[in-house]
Amino acid sequence: MATANNPSRDLILKRIRAGLQMPVTARWEEVPERPFFAPIENPLERFQQECKANLMELTLTDNAAESARQLASILNTLPPGEIFMQDHAGLRALVEDAGVSREIRWSSQGGPREVAQATVSLAEALVAHTGSVFVSAACGGRGASVVAPCHIVFANTNQLLPDLKTALSNATRNGVLKNNSFACMISGSSRTADIEKILVQGAHGPIRLAVILERR
Amino acid sequence: MSAPATRVPPADGASAHDHPQGANPEKQFHHDAAVKSADLVHREIIRKNMESYDAGHMKGRARFMDWDAARDRCQAIKREAINHLDKYLLQFEENVTARGGHVFWAATSQEARNYIRDLAVRHAVKTVVKSKSMVTEEIELAAALEKVGCTVWETDLGEYIVQLRHEPPYHIVTPAMHLNRTQIAELFRDKFGEPDLPEDPQKLVAAARRKLRQAFFAAEMGISGANFLVADVGAVAISTNEGNGRLTTSLPRIHVAVTGIEKVIPRLEDLATLWPVLATSGTGQPVTTYGTLVGGPKRPGEADGPEEFHVVLVDNGRSSLLGHPEEREVLHCIRCGACLNICPVYRHIGGHAYGTTYPGPIGAVLTPHLRGSAFEHLSYASSLCGACTSVCPVKIDLHHHLLHNRRDFMKAGHGKVGERIRFRLWRVAMLSPKLYALGGWLGRKSLRAIYGLGLSGSLLDPLRAWNRKRATVPVAKESFREQWRKGLGNSK
Amino acid sequence: MPRKVSLFVPCFVDQLLPEVAVDTVKVLRKIGCEVEFREQQTCCGQPAFNSGYWDDARPCAEKFARVFQDAEAIVCPSGSCTTMVRKFYPELLKESPMRGDAVAAGQRTYELSEFLVRVAGVTDVGAVFPHSVTYHASCHGLRELGLKEEPLKLLHAVQGLKLVDMPRYDECCGFGGTFAIKFADISAAMGQSKVENVMASGAEYVTAIDSSCLMHVQGMLGKNKFKAQAIHLASILASDGGRA
Repeated sequence: MATANNPSRDLILKRIRAGLQMPVTARWEEVPERPFFAPIENPLERFQQECKANLMELTLTDNAAESARQLASILNTLPPGEIFMQDHAGLRALVEDAGVSREIRWSSQGGPREVAQATVSLAEALVAHTGSVFVSAACGGRGASVVAPCHIVFANTNQLLPDLKTALSNATRNGVLKNNSFACMISGSSRTADIEKILVQGAHGPIRLAVILERR
Repeated sequence: MSAPATRVPPADGASAHDHPQGANPEKQFHHDAAVKSADLVHREIIRKNMESYDAGHMKGRARFMDWDAARDRCQAIKREAINHLDKYLLQFEENVTARGGHVFWAATSQEARNYIRDLAVRHAVKTVVKSKSMVTEEIELAAALEKVGCTVWETDLGEYIVQLRHEPPYHIVTPAMHLNRTQIAELFRDKFGEPDLPEDPQKLVAAARRKLRQAFFAAEMGISGANFLVADVGAVAISTNEGNGRLTTSLPRIHVAVTGIEKVIPRLEDLATLWPVLATSGTGQPVTTYGTLVGGPKRPGEADGPEEFHVVLVDNGRSSLLGHPEEREVLHCIRCGACLNICPVYRHIGGHAYGTTYPGPIGAVLTPHLRGSAFEHLSYASSLCGACTSVCPVKIDLHHHLLHNRRDFMKAGHGKVGERIRFRLWRVAMLSPKLYALGGWLGRKSLRAIYGLGLSGSLLDPLRAWNRKRATVPVAKESFREQWRKGLGNSK
Repeated sequence: MPRKVSLFVPCFVDQLLPEVAVDTVKVLRKIGCEVEFREQQTCCGQPAFNSGYWDDARPCAEKFARVFQDAEAIVCPSGSCTTMVRKFYPELLKESPMRGDAVAAGQRTYELSEFLVRVAGVTDVGAVFPHSVTYHASCHGLRELGLKEEPLKLLHAVQGLKLVDMPRYDECCGFGGTFAIKFADISAAMGQSKVENVMASGAEYVTAIDSSCLMHVQGMLGKNKFKAQAIHLASILASDGGRA
């Protein structure tokens, strides 16, 4: 970036480099890296446990038809109003199967509107260890996982990874952040404990996070 | 929508809460600490909240097979980052710039403030939503934006509550920890004009959600902090539970991330360690609900997102710590708040008494470096118990750095003259066993006489400062060495 | 086990609470040690060190190294003074010609419970103390020297002693040396919480390995007119239950 717009850039870099020249007291002993999490033995079982702990709704399905029924049943519990969906051929087929009669705004038309009752998206990956759903801008954009009171995620068991380390190194390798301006590791519905440390769900984001996980 | 409260307006270059009108920070600290430590209602609220944190924190740590190994790993990651700070910041900048983002380097608070203010003016910004960021407190950003006509909304619930109360955050992670639901309900009833709002956290959160949602959808500018700057992919990482950080970085046309230069980490993969450790140390959660990564403005083909993305890297005194032989590692801090939570001083005087952006042990170490000698007293306001160091997730030697600070302040001649003389005399006595024994004998004789007359704690009592607050100090008739001489040494 | 031990008595114990040192001598003699006391000793230098006056603290450290140069084992009834000698002398004397001697002396300096359990291998010193006791973990002993189990092992072995738990037993009592004077309000508030916890434990006595903490705790107990008493570990270990 041009220095003209950034008058202190060189000054700060100079200060940093001067500081780093100073020898520091070597109180640091190099400790060999050692594992600090127990290995995940059964990712699916662990994912189910963690989803429960994260107050997420997880449904395992065996095929697309069952997934469609599950989608329909979740949508049936919601107040009337628009649904936002990631524009994806698989999701379009699913909506058709589910026989959704609500108004749908597709991500190709822009981000979700304030009135959206639910957002529906795919995921980049799922993480068993923390019960997380990893999304990127490719999963319908940024608002697709946060604007509506309910976020519904479609994923399949091939996407299930054991831990954050695997998920993040895959993301680096696959250039997730090269190809997207945004990504997010989501581990539960929106929540706060700012009042007397009491957990309340649905602070600013979704009150419900539902994962429909298809066995593959 | 009801406009949020303006915070205390800053005097030039110094915030009102850091420099109360005319008072010196040390005097103010003594005053506020005395008031708060005697406030039993406050103590009870903090005790309750902290005990709830303690339980969660220990439960969270139990999820690790080896918590100490995780801390070692975090320390190693941050050490690598800080020891190559120039390299990783440049890598981060290059990646962000390549994606169409802007990176601005601010040497001072003022430079950071002015950059963001000018940006707001240029884009005719009327409404700003902010997610939680201590650096924006440090640089007093909100007031600068309000001066040019912006309405600034704090959107983290705790931050919103203290904003409505015209207060700075009480704690770096849980800003409204000093309030109970009754106080918050009263505040909301008054500010929202909803007299029937019950004291139910669920209902209170819902009320705040309704208010802030309007702000989110109206805002032209979103300002966030950053928990980490990930160099290898060029993204800011923001951890939030409420989702306010998500909305702040998704809905407005402009997103500005403001953060300290020390927040950079080498690799995306490092978050696999840092995220769980930060969450565990901060709240006891296995991982924060939203680990958001933002690397640039909306790209062609993406459904939504800001048109502009700016990262403001704030130095404001941080780089001076790099050259400190012992305290470079203070820059490893990930602002989890664990040292505040365990600190018995913090637990008794609370966050506001410190009069600084960063309270507690980390603040006591850091603030004199960032703000200068007017805050040196904070490095003394510790019993050096070391509880902070025992919980720090990046293993900063916090309580020993308090000792280093004290040494450096005295070396620079900042000691009070009376104290300097007293220690010099003390040293003379300690180097001469005879003088020491004589001084001890005389001291005991006179103290026993004074206490015998019932004058403990009076102006005549040299140990007044002690005895004023406690039962009278015991004074032996005969010292150990006298007893040893008289026969103890010879008996078996 | 070294038969001959040299006593290092913290200056304020010497002057204000000599019975703690007397009891230390008793305990060491009980387990068969020959105890000496070198009268050239004064203060370890911690007050000046903690206040930032390292130039004033340094000669004290050098003096300690000289006084105890040939002592086989140095035993001190204080985790705090032991910490000063073992953990802080190396840093304080970084450029001093006495550094080698000081570091070596530090390696031979032990806090009392540490000496008894780790060095002498003794947990039962034959003490009798028929009272309920709660334990306060002094900060320096716990976090600088890592003495977590040693005092408890000794207490468990005392005949008639009922050890009871105290909430937040490892939280600082608020003493902190000059902190107690410079920030008396904060210090006393911390002490208040500590004695409330002592009372919550229901114990008759609260013990610790440091007289400094105990002096503060006793001061706060007295101020509140609370019945519980502060007592040094050495005094419990020296007790014969009033039989003698």
